[in-house]
Amino acid sequence: MAKLVFGVLMAVVWWMLQALQWDGEMALGTLYEVKRAVNRAAHAAAQQADPEKLELGVITVEPVLAEEAAYVYLRDNLRLDAQLQPLPGSVLRDGVKIRHFAVIGDEVSFPYTFRLEELNYEVTFYRPGVVLVVEAAYPRLFGVLAPVEWTVKGAAEMVYA
Amino acid sequence: MKQLLVFVLFAGMFCWLMFSPVYRHVLVMRQALLQQEVDYLLEIGASGRFGYIDRLMIEESRSRLAAYGFRPGDLEYFVASTTGEPADDPSRPLVRGTGLKLMIRYPYDRLLDIDRLMGIQPPPDSARITASGMKMSEYVPWLE
Repeated sequence: MAKLVFGVLMAVVWWMLQALQWDGEMALGTLYEVKRAVNRAAHAAAQQADPEKLELGVITVEPVLAEEAAYVYLRDNLRLDAQLQPLPGSVLRDGVKIRHFAVIGDEVSFPYTFRLEELNYEVTFYRPGVVLVVEAAYPRLFGVLAPVEWTVKGAAEMVYA
Repeated sequence: MKQLLVFVLFAGMFCWLMFSPVYRHVLVMRQALLQQEVDYLLEIGASGRFGYIDRLMIEESRSRLAAYGFRPGDLEYFVASTTGEPADDPSRPLVRGTGLKLMIRYPYDRLLDIDRLMGIQPPPDSARITASGMKMSEYVPWLE
């Protein structure tokens, strides 16, 4: 009898370790998924040149177009709806929140160091660009892990020759 | 006799406890490799030099993935653009501002069949491991 109880207990411990391991792997996978989406959204936003200033020979990012592009690429890469809530097939269970969105345009001189004190985040721009900070939570499968929430930061510069 | 009975009763569960993590790990790794390949193809394809993902790039990608043990014939590639233009035509690259979409799919290869021991139905044969992404093209046409 004691052996049987021991066996069952071992099975439970073993299974919990497996669950922990699997959840950990999936959590990191999700983090990378969100980071990729943030990078692509920032990249797309940073490519939105301001056509009126371009005529004058000034290359800079148009903030309204940039924000729209960031939304579209973030939503498409993470499969979110218009309120940034997950659609079926998304890796997330809770919606994401855009914590910070900044356009670094021609009003500053380059190289320009952008600082976000509260997140201890710092990035240096050599060209006009965009900073995007998003908050996301990992949907835990088994509840063995402590709740996992991330603040994912991304930045991109405009690309031109 | 009693111990033998207990072992027989729990054999399925022991088997599952021992081997399902291995299968799951293979699944996680395959998903990660597919995603890495998608990232690489998008990075190259959406760059200012290309603006497309053509047949040649896909063939090279197949052989890269084959080196990790994927069967090249079973990999399915879907290339599309946000505007509906063909995204795999080198003579007509997607211009800057157009999104390049890529999805790679691969069968589960019965990796989750071991879950039957615990009474969990594995995904149907038609289900696929999927990795996808969308990136804005950087290609700008210039006048010669």
